[in-house]
Amino acid sequence: MVVPGTITEIVGRLSSGRTSLLVACLGEVTGRGAVAALVDADGALDPASAARAGVDLARLLWVRCGGRRDVALRAADLLVRCQGFALVGLDLGETATPLSHAAAFRLRFAVERTASALVVVGRGRVTGPAASLVVETVRDRLEWAGPGPVPTRLAHVRAHARVLRARAARGAGAAPLGFCA
Amino acid sequence: MSRFACVWVDDFTAAAAARCEPALRAGPLAVLGLAAPVPRVLDANAAAREASVRPGMTETEARARCPALVTRPWAEARVTSGRHALLEAASSVSPRIEDWAPGVVHVDAAGLARLVGDPAVVGRRLLNRARAVGFAARVALADSRTTARLVAASARAAVTVVPPGRAREALAGAPLAVLGLDADLAATLARWGVATLGELAALPRDGLGTRLGPAGLRAYDLALGRDHDPFVPWAPPPFWEEAQGLDWELDSLTALSAVLEVVLGRLCARLAAAHLAADALEVTLELARGGHHALGVALATPLSEPAPMLTLVTLALEARPPGAPVTRVAARARPVAVCAGQAGLWQPPAPPQRELAAVLARLAALAGPGNVGAARVEDSHRPDAHALVPFAPPEDGILGERVACQDPPPAPAEGAPRLALRRVRPPRRVDVETDGEQPARADGRRVVARAGPWRGSGEWWDTGVWARDEWDAALGDGTLCRLAHDRRTGEWYLDGVYD
Repeated sequence: MVVPGTITEIVGRLSSGRTSLLVACLGEVTGRGAVAALVDADGALDPASAARAGVDLARLLWVRCGGRRDVALRAADLLVRCQGFALVGLDLGETATPLSHAAAFRLRFAVERTASALVVVGRGRVTGPAASLVVETVRDRLEWAGPGPVPTRLAHVRAHARVLRARAARGAGAAPLGFCA
Repeated sequence: MSRFACVWVDDFTAAAAARCEPALRAGPLAVLGLAAPVPRVLDANAAAREASVRPGMTETEARARCPALVTRPWAEARVTSGRHALLEAASSVSPRIEDWAPGVVHVDAAGLARLVGDPAVVGRRLLNRARAVGFAARVALADSRTTARLVAASARAAVTVVPPGRAREALAGAPLAVLGLDADLAATLARWGVATLGELAALPRDGLGTRLGPAGLRAYDLALGRDHDPFVPWAPPPFWEEAQGLDWELDSLTALSAVLEVVLGRLCARLAAAHLAADALEVTLELARGGHHALGVALATPLSEPAPMLTLVTLALEARPPGAPVTRVAARARPVAVCAGQAGLWQPPAPPQRELAAVLARLAALAGPGNVGAARVEDSHRPDAHALVPFAPPEDGILGERVACQDPPPAPAEGAPRLALRRVRPPRRVDVETDGEQPARADGRRVVARAGPWRGSGEWWDTGVWARDEWDAALGDGTLCRLAHDRRTGEWYLDGVYD
């Protein structure tokens, strides 16, 4: 899903699996020895669950923006201009005001030049036509587990990702997702 | 034929102190170390040593032995400037000199006979030059540096000339202590009854090597005046500073940056020509109202390119702007030699150190220095126990340490990613209605499904005691969250939201 030099957006409602998908991407990138960055607008990353998801925390630069969305965007702009970050995640949380086309294409040209992949996570679309791929995560069902009739553990979250926009040859469609708790 | 001279200054630290205060030469003088808790004597001059003051004594002990003792604290700048002065004095006699140790300078005297005169004249000239910069030295000339150094260390005369081929005889009477052997080896030789270099040189070399190993062989060769180490010529350190005087006053950071760019560009060109990089920068701005605005910029990595340097200096100036218009800009670099790194063939590219340092500095200025770094999970059962450490990705291909969670859940299905939790920091207090001990409504929203409790507690031995039950709850609006019930206070908190 993460293509170098492109912007990918993951949108969806809270608890739909969008953050888990971003963390999985970070885990994949850092797991092969590359360096990644996460601009966390709300400072919501849970390092323990990220480590369990396979993220090598030593290779992940975490920037906490304390709820300041403008700071998050400027930090992401700085990071995508620095060579060597295979993936820059921008977690905007529940705030999803679209960027101006100029700002969005500024980001796109930057990632094209440095071959970084920018993954933006938010409630809705932010970068508009500058994004190469936009997927929406939708939660399907929850699976609970436990030794008796009363569940004691959240076992799985079943969801699917729906492609809203694909600039390349990808066709629109949906892919199932499953997250272990 | 090679000829070397050695300029030797006894008790150099004390001599350097006396050089700065010539009145101290008359009486006993000791230099004290600053190490806590008790200041100890680092060095003492001849008069103090005659009164049995020795390095390592406490100040009280030294004063008890020598009531007239004058003490001075250790000052590195004094020793450094004295060392440079002695080297420059020696280099005025011969262009090839070697900085062996503080107060010990080797001088290549080959070919000086036609220029200066016979060896005794060369020795006297070196002596006079050392005296001119404030040091009372001794000089010895011999075939090798080791012979010249050992003779100078043990001789009584101001100038000693060892005739060619007579090194062994010249060193025979010197005490073994001039070799500066380690304590074990010196004790062994003392047990053997070896007290002078002549007695050491009379021992069979092979047998010495068998019994004492390489250290014994080295001592044997030194006793014969043989050089082991190559001659390392000393060159005066270059002046790594560039400055720009201005005919007009600069009162904005933008204008100042333009001048800094030029100054740093010149400095970097000089560093690059010498295959060096700057480890730290000192920027000094002369102010129109008089005075200076000095700024130290520590570089995270050695740099020799002006652009990232300019960025860092500009950021430092933004944080600490000068208080008046600027009329002169000077930048001084602390140079270091850098070795090129070798990237792995199959290793993904990482951010270049120089760019990463600049980006991290910018991010710290933007988001706050406490908000940029790499997360590290703490070895604790306390929820959300983590720390933010400086970001320094491992350079090798080995992956960083993975942190295992303290309560590992069952293994996931093949290829299934993990569910991520979005933390609410600090945990938000919520009103929860319970059905028994289970949460039934949270903040007015119905809990449609729940799992738990996951009970945890810790740090009961400390002031940070905690005890809580955690519940995974699906709310009526679709939110899947983690609720925590504090068993000590009875409050409910929203710990985070699964997403």
